Amino acid sequence: MASVRRSLLGGVAVVALATVASSAMAQAGNEWPTYGGDKSNTRFSTLDQINTGNVKDLKVVWMHSLGSNDSQESTPIIVGDTMYVTSSTGPKYVFALNARTGEKIWTYQPELPGDYMSTVCCGLDNRGVAVANGMVFFGRLDAKLEALDAKTGKHLWTKTVADYRKGYAITSAPLIVKDMVITGMAGGEYGVRGFVSAYKQSTGELVWKTYTIPGEGEPENDTWKGDSWKTGGGSTWGVGAYDAGRNLVYWSTSNAGPWGASTRGNDSSDIGPYSNKWTSSQLAFDADTGKIVWGYQYTPHDTWDYDGINEAVLTELSLGGQKVPVMMHADRNGFFYVLNRETGKLLAADPFVTVNWASHVDLQTGRPVEAPNNEKRPQLGKWARNVCPNLIGGKNWSPMSYSPQTGLVYLPAFNMCMDIKNREEEYSPGKFYLASEFDLGMAGASGSNLAEFIAWDPVAMKKAWSIPEDYMWASGAMTTAGGLVFYGNLEGKFKAVNAKTGEVLWQFNVGTGITQSAVSYSIDGKQYIAVTAGRLKGPPSFFGKLGQKMMAVSPEGGVLVVFAL
Amino acid sequence: MKPNNKVWKQMGVLVLAFATLAPAWGGEDESGPVNPYSGDKAVAKEGAELFNQYCSHCHGPWAEQGERVRDLRRLRIRYGDYATETFWTTVHKGRMEKGMPVWGGVLSDDVLWRIYTFLETVQTEE
Ligand code: HEC
Repeated sequence: MASVRRSLLGGVAVVALATVASSAMAQAGNEWPTYGGDKSNTRFSTLDQINTGNVKDLKVVWMHSLGSNDSQESTPIIVGDTMYVTSSTGPKYVFALNARTGEKIWTYQPELPGDYMSTVCCGLDNRGVAVANGMVFFGRLDAKLEALDAKTGKHLWTKTVADYRKGYAITSAPLIVKDMVITGMAGGEYGVRGFVSAYKQSTGELVWKTYTIPGEGEPENDTWKGDSWKTGGGSTWGVGAYDAGRNLVYWSTSNAGPWGASTRGNDSSDIGPYSNKWTSSQLAFDADTGKIVWGYQYTPHDTWDYDGINEAVLTELSLGGQKVPVMMHADRNGFFYVLNRETGKLLAADPFVTVNWASHVDLQTGRPVEAPNNEKRPQLGKWARNVCPNLIGGKNWSPMSYSPQTGLVYLPAFNMCMDIKNREEEYSPGKFYLASEFDLGMAGASGSNLAEFIAWDPVAMKKAWSIPEDYMWASGAMTTAGGLVFYGNLEGKFKAVNAKTGEVLWQFNVGTGITQSAVSYSIDGKQYIAVTAGRLKGPPSFFGKLGQKMMAVSPEGGVLVVFAL
Repeated sequence: MKPNNKVWKQMGVLVLAFATLAPAWGGEDESGPVNPYSGDKAVAKEGAELFNQYCSHCHGPWAEQGERVRDLRRLRIRYGDYATETFWTTVHKGRMEKGMPVWGGVLSDDVLWRIYTFLETVQTEE
């Protein structure tokens, strides 16, 4: 296969071939057209010029300063020979660069209000843009969605998605579906009510808006005690996925708010009717109307901040001799889930890190079976000790990648536990609304390494191999048809690994921590690998002693580094 | 706690009056805000819990923090005699443009002093 592809290189034929070979959607080839590489979020590139045999010769070809110092989490988008990339802090900048040389095409500085920073939870990040029909779209930390002309960088429209002073923000790239641009929102720590909304690309006009938490009189509203649904969280700060064949848009939802659960239902593992839908859940929306087609709740009546926003990766898996359309999701709560993406039916759920808050997920009921006697569930005034994973999760937002070549999923996992207790707290708009106290200054249950880069077999539901990392965070992953998986770490080491064996074949120190996945693209027959780096600042701020160590590992920064042979 | 009650109430009023005049302080005035609970171990313990609940997401649990500008164990070496005053002004007015929220009107002065009483116990020398 590889040699066939190479002989055809330079063209559309490569992409076409790969598409046939795999699932329903076009994979990333010469371009990296959307956040997850494709709308299935596989982050698999069909390019194979750089491969296990020659990756040792990879060299820097150009670099670009991102011009800001907060956590850099942008996935560059490559369309034609132009790269679109954002910086953190707002975003402070949106850049259009010549993807061959890094030369500036245009720079845009969005106009943000000075006071937005104190209503953003966990780092002043931006994860990048979406590009379609000659336009560039991005969300902002002041909860606005903006559109630019892709050629000139000229401002087209700005839409207020929600009120930033009440704690709403947008951190992730929007999703392009037909003539719409669809965005999620952040704010699960501020007592918001989550939603997903779709706008017309050409005008910014609202097409649909669907709350993740049903309102009064709607089904599942009675999964909330009293009025608690009004401030119940369930934000949608991660990214969406799209299945064009089924016309379904997938988004998952954050923790319930406040973290302390007693105002939302029973203060106990015996949750009764109070599951708090649809927080910490996976949702499928009709792309045209926004209507919820199905929902599956990962963590019912969450009180651990097991925020469920991690990406859904869509593919087909052979399960029990049948090809099944699935979505795969590695949750903060420590379980790796495989769902039928047509029906939302749970097919498998197994821990990919040490999990002790639940013994397992019951495949019949779809529900996790919590540790007995509320031992791992924090209650009002009562500590739950040594709960694993901690609230950063078994995995956080840094995206995983699925390689159809190896059949494995590659994901950054964390090995940490916590003590956590709930407290009384009044809701105050624009202020943290957690009703919780926690201690994250402890390592995990399996060794002193705080993170691990895992190759996971989604059929056998077990690890194929893993690489321990001293510190969290390990970055997101990208796989290529060259038999490689790329990822980075907090120290700033960017690595190319043999995707089959886990052998590290090459590494390069970019000088500051890496959190986001790399991307790949090809212009005039030359393959490039690009990665943004800039050590994260938000999470280490609440990690106490461990956080101090993390910050000492590499300085903050903002750099885009591009490699080629 | 009781014996201190009156004192802090008076101080609270005084300090609030001051806070609104903050730009005029000029550093010479000696009657800045005074922590009514200074040195009270029980209050410090309570203050630590309150700190962990309201401030730790940005400043670290028990004020353990690697980002210098957010490290509240360094108020004393950073501000010396102005430490208390800086605390008081900053929590009341925030520094919204730098990401520090306004706590005046959200947390009572009593709660803020309790938090400060805890912070006084973790000030570092180096
Ligand atoms: C949303 C994040 C956030 C929360 C929550 C927060 N702070 Fe801050 N705070 C900051 C930031 C950021 C700074 C640094 C501002 C700067 O760069 O000058 C700061 C600065 C301060 C300072 C001044 C430090 C100095 O050396 O000048 C004090 C005092 C302070 N905070 C106290 C508190 C207290 C007490 C609480 C809890 C009631 C709290 N903060 C909650 C973000 C936060």
